[in-house]
Amino acid sequence: MNQKDFFSSLFWMMVGAGVCWGGYKLDLGTLHDPGSGFMFFWIGLIMIGLSLSISFRSLRERIEGGEIGKLWSGTGWKKAIYVLLALVFYAYAFQILGFIVTTALLLIFLFKVVEPQRWIIAIAGAVLSTLITYGVFQGWLGSQLPKGVLGIG
Amino acid sequence: MDLWNHLAIGFSVALQPTNLFYCFVGVFIGTLIGVLPGIGPVGAMALLLPTTFKSTPEASIIMLAGIYYGAMYGGSTTSILVNIPGEAASVVTCLDGYQMARQGRAGPALGIAAFGSFIAGTLSILGLMLLAPPLANFALKFGPPEYFSLMVMGLTVLIYLAHGSMPKALLMAAFGVILGLIGLDSINARPRFTFDRMELVDGVGLVPIVMGLFGISEVLLNIEQAIGRKVFETRIKGLLPTIKDWLDSKGAMARGSLLGFFLGILPGGGAVISSFLSYAIEKRLSKHPEKFGKGVIEGVAGPEAANNAATGGAFIPLMTLGIPPNVVMAMLLGAFMIHGVQPGPLMMKQNPGLFWGVIVSMYIGNIMLLILNLPLIGMWVQVLKVPYRFLFPLILLFCLIGAYTVSYAIFDIYIMILFGIIGYLMKKFDYEGAPLVLAFVLGPLLENNLRKSLIMSQGDFSIFFTRPLSAISLSVALFLFISPFIPRMGKKRREIPKEEKA
Repeated sequence: MNQKDFFSSLFWMMVGAGVCWGGYKLDLGTLHDPGSGFMFFWIGLIMIGLSLSISFRSLRERIEGGEIGKLWSGTGWKKAIYVLLALVFYAYAFQILGFIVTTALLLIFLFKVVEPQRWIIAIAGAVLSTLITYGVFQGWLGSQLPKGVLGIG
Repeated sequence: MDLWNHLAIGFSVALQPTNLFYCFVGVFIGTLIGVLPGIGPVGAMALLLPTTFKSTPEASIIMLAGIYYGAMYGGSTTSILVNIPGEAASVVTCLDGYQMARQGRAGPALGIAAFGSFIAGTLSILGLMLLAPPLANFALKFGPPEYFSLMVMGLTVLIYLAHGSMPKALLMAAFGVILGLIGLDSINARPRFTFDRMELVDGVGLVPIVMGLFGISEVLLNIEQAIGRKVFETRIKGLLPTIKDWLDSKGAMARGSLLGFFLGILPGGGAVISSFLSYAIEKRLSKHPEKFGKGVIEGVAGPEAANNAATGGAFIPLMTLGIPPNVVMAMLLGAFMIHGVQPGPLMMKQNPGLFWGVIVSMYIGNIMLLILNLPLIGMWVQVLKVPYRFLFPLILLFCLIGAYTVSYAIFDIYIMILFGIIGYLMKKFDYEGAPLVLAFVLGPLLENNLRKSLIMSQGDFSIFFTRPLSAISLSVALFLFISPFIPRMGKKRREIPKEEKA
C-alpha cells in the first residue's frame, strides 16, 4: 500500500465531504437559477470522487518510499518545527511588542538557534536587517508597521 | 498606423522617470531571485505587491512584469556557474551551460544566454503587440459560456501538464476553486464558508496563500536538508560570443523564440515546457547530437530564448481575455484587480496607457537586463556565494511583512503560516501548488460565468456545446481528461517536464 497517497486522500475526502455538506446547507438553488451553495456542493462531490480514486489506487500500489515514516527520516524536521513556532510567536507578539522588537527577536532566533552562528553575527545581522527593512517599508514605502506597547519605531 | 500610435502612447508612459525606476527595480529583483534559491518569481511578486499600493497601476504592473522576465535571465546564471537552476525554466540550461563553464567557456555561455534571452524577449514583445489587438477585438464577442469553457480548458491543460498524478492535480484545482469562493456570494452577497470571521467576508487573500505555498513551505523544506552550492571557480572572460558562436546559435535562438512564444500563449504551457522542448528539438536537428550535454552552445541558446519568449506570450491571454494562463499571470491578474483594473478585451480601449506602457516597458526592461547581466555578472556571482543560512531568515521576514502589509491584518499572517504548513505537506505528499493557485484566482470567475450561462439558458447545459468556441474548448478539455487512459498519450504525458515551480 502507498501510505502517502492513502492517508492524504482520506484527508481530502473529509475536506470534500465538509465542503459538500456546507454547500448543501447554503442553498443549492435550481439549474435555472443556481444558488450560493451550488458550486461548493458539486466541487465537494468531485473532491470525494477524486479522493476515492486516489485511495483505491494507493491500496494496489507498492512503491519505494511510500511509507509516511520515511518522509521525515534523515531530515532535520525539528528545524522546520522551530521555524513554525517562531512564526506563530511572531504573529502573536507583532502588535504587542511592535515591529522592531518582534522582528529583531525573530531574526536572532533564526540566526542563532535554527542555523547556529556566532552571537555577534546573529545579533548584528538581526538588528541591521530589522532596521533596514523598517527604513524601507515604514520610511520609504509608507507602510504602517505597529509600534507596540513599548512605542518603539 | 495604429501600431505607431500605440507605440507612442506606450513610450510616453514607459519613459516616465517613475516607471523607468519601477522597471529597473523589477528586473533587478527578478534577476536577484532568479539567482537566489528558495524564492521564485511568484513569491517575489506576492512579496512586492503591497509595496505598489501607493504607486500607479502602470508602475506596479511594469515592476511585477519585470520580476517575471528578469527571473528568466537570472536563472541561467546559476545553471551555468553552479549547475543548480535558479528557477525551473533554467533546468535544461544546466546540461550544456555548466559543461561549457567547466571547459573554461563560462563567459560565452553567459553571453549567449543573455543575448538569446534579449533577442527572444524582444521578438515575443513584437508578437504580443501584433497579436493582442485582433485577439482582444475577437474576445469582445465572447459571452459567459465561452469564458467558462475557456477557463475550464485552461485549468485542464495546467492539470494535464502537472507533474505526477492527474487526480491529485485535479483535487488541488478543486480545492483552489473552493478557497477562491470563500467570502460573499458575488450574485446575492450571502456569506459563504466565512465561519463568522469578519476577516473572511472579503475572501482569503491571494498574497498570504501564495507566500505560504511558495515562500514559507520552500524554506521549511530547504532547512530540513542542508543546501550545498559550489560556485564554479573560474575567471569569467570573453562574455561576447564569437562569430562562430553566433552562427551556431542563430537557428536555435530563432526556433526557441517562436516555440516559446506560442507555448507561452497556451494555458498551462510556459517557460519550463518550452525550454525542454527547444532543447529536444535542437538535439534532434543537430548534425552532432552526441555532443549535446557536453557543452554545445546551441543547448544554451535555444532553451534560454524559449523560456524568455514564453514570458511575452503568456501576457496575451491575460491582457486580451482576462484569463491567466499560468500561476505567475494569475498573480499579475490579482495585482491588476487590486489596482482596480480588469484585464480583458476592453482594457486596450479603456486603459491604453497601461496596456501599451507595460508592453513598451518590456522592451526597455530587456535592455536593462542585458546591461545588468553582462557587465555586472561579477556581482551576481558574489550574490550566488551568500550562504542559505543567511538567506532564509530574510526570506521569512519578507514573507511576513508582505502578508501583513496587504491589509494590515494579523489574520493574514496566520493564513500564510497555515498555507506554509499545507504547502510543506503538499510537497511531502506529492501534491502540486500551481493548479491550486490558478484555480483559486479563476474560481470566482468560473462560478460567475457558469451561473450566468445557466440563467441565460434557463438551466440547459447544452448552451456550452451549441456555441462553437465553447464546444471546442470543452472538447479539448475532455480529450485531455481521457488521454491518460489512452496508453500512447499517457506515456507522452509522463515525459513532460515539471511545470512552473513558482
